[in-house]
Amino acid sequence: MKMEEMSLSGLDNSKLEAIAQEIYADLVEDSCLGFCFEVHRAVKCGYFFLDDTDPDSMKDFEIVDQPGLDIFGQVFNQWKSKECVCPNCSRSIAASRFAPHLEKCLGMGRNSSRIANRRIANSNNMNKSESDQEDNDDINDNDWSYGSEKKGLWYLPFQNPNSPRRSKSLKHKNGELSNSDPFKYNNSTGISYETLGPEELRSLLTTVRDQGRGESDYFLPTRSLRCPQHTDEQRRTVRIYFLGPSAVFPEVESSLDNDSFDMTDSQALISRLQWDGSSDLSPSDSGSSKTSENQGWGLGTNSSESRKTKKKKSHLSLVGTASGLGSNKKKKPKPPAPPTPSIYDDIN
Amino acid sequence: MRRDVQILRAAINQKLIETGERERLKELLRAKLIECGWKDQLKAHCKEVIKEKGLEHVTVDDLVAEITPKGRALVPDSVKKELLQRIRTFLAQHASL
Repeated sequence: MKMEEMSLSGLDNSKLEAIAQEIYADLVEDSCLGFCFEVHRAVKCGYFFLDDTDPDSMKDFEIVDQPGLDIFGQVFNQWKSKECVCPNCSRSIAASRFAPHLEKCLGMGRNSSRIANRRIANSNNMNKSESDQEDNDDINDNDWSYGSEKKGLWYLPFQNPNSPRRSKSLKHKNGELSNSDPFKYNNSTGISYETLGPEELRSLLTTVRDQGRGESDYFLPTRSLRCPQHTDEQRRTVRIYFLGPSAVFPEVESSLDNDSFDMTDSQALISRLQWDGSSDLSPSDSGSSKTSENQGWGLGTNSSESRKTKKKKSHLSLVGTASGLGSNKKKKPKPPAPPTPSIYDDIN
Repeated sequence: MRRDVQILRAAINQKLIETGERERLKELLRAKLIECGWKDQLKAHCKEVIKEKGLEHVTVDDLVAEITPKGRALVPDSVKKELLQRIRTFLAQHASL
């Protein structure tokens, strides 16, 4: 190697350059040969001409180079001026405003329910001094409970009748607007359950307002805690019936926290609550409640009841109906839609 | 003299392969040729040749004979210069080995 070293350093640059050139030529030849082999393989396998297009297609997809157009030939803001017809209110809306308009119009977005809530609260505050409390409940609750149930969503504020945008005359047409209430709301006799099917009743009884949830989640009437299906008189009579004449009528149904049940004075409540879940709990649960029912107002089911009541604490407002169910249980084994007015008939 | 050069060349080639420099140089050249469009030019030329000869009757020898001289000629000067530079660097590095 030493000889080569010496010879290498002794060689002039031209020789080195010649060697470098030869090396370079070898490399280029390698590349060309490689390319030839690729082409030959492509020809023999048949994919060599695959990426060619016919002249007609080439003309179609030629790059466009005119001012105001993109390279595909499309105009830039073509859709700004287009108008769409809203399927709900049948107005023609600008395309860029269409989505927000639909959200408000159908009442299904996040913002629309918030705005509707606020409007209801405002209109309620305004109307409070004017009319009777019960009537207000009736008018204000129509859009969240009965009419909107038809839409499949319990809290859907479809076409809020109290929206300030609507004309005043609409206020009196609430019943017609909300799609012909299946229930005949009558202040004196309460709701008539016979007209309801089991599914409607189930949904009605299970989705009572729960004040624990935030307003933005559901469209809730924020005023009253009492259900609109019964009057105060009815509630008072039921309470007296079960708790004795000394029962205190609470202004607000505040005993929503059932975790700490006082055994002594809440037994009646517990027994009443046994019927809360009968329509929608599993058969095993209703079965246990059945047996406890037959035993009388026993404490044996207290733990299960407190569990049930944890889930259904909002059903305290329907306590009256539960007790009504209890008395009827002995007559029929498992009534799907317990007829609540019967208890009121007894009392009245 | 000639034999020395030949021996020298053999030694250098061996060195190139051993160190892996030859592979690196080849990859570099291939990348540069694709970048500068050499491959596409040559492909267009190929298509003409094949259309001339007929798709079924193309042989490797034909292609090589047609393509290689054109390919050598089409290499851009910048690519050539850069590659030569790298080779000279390599030689200078390994001169003292």
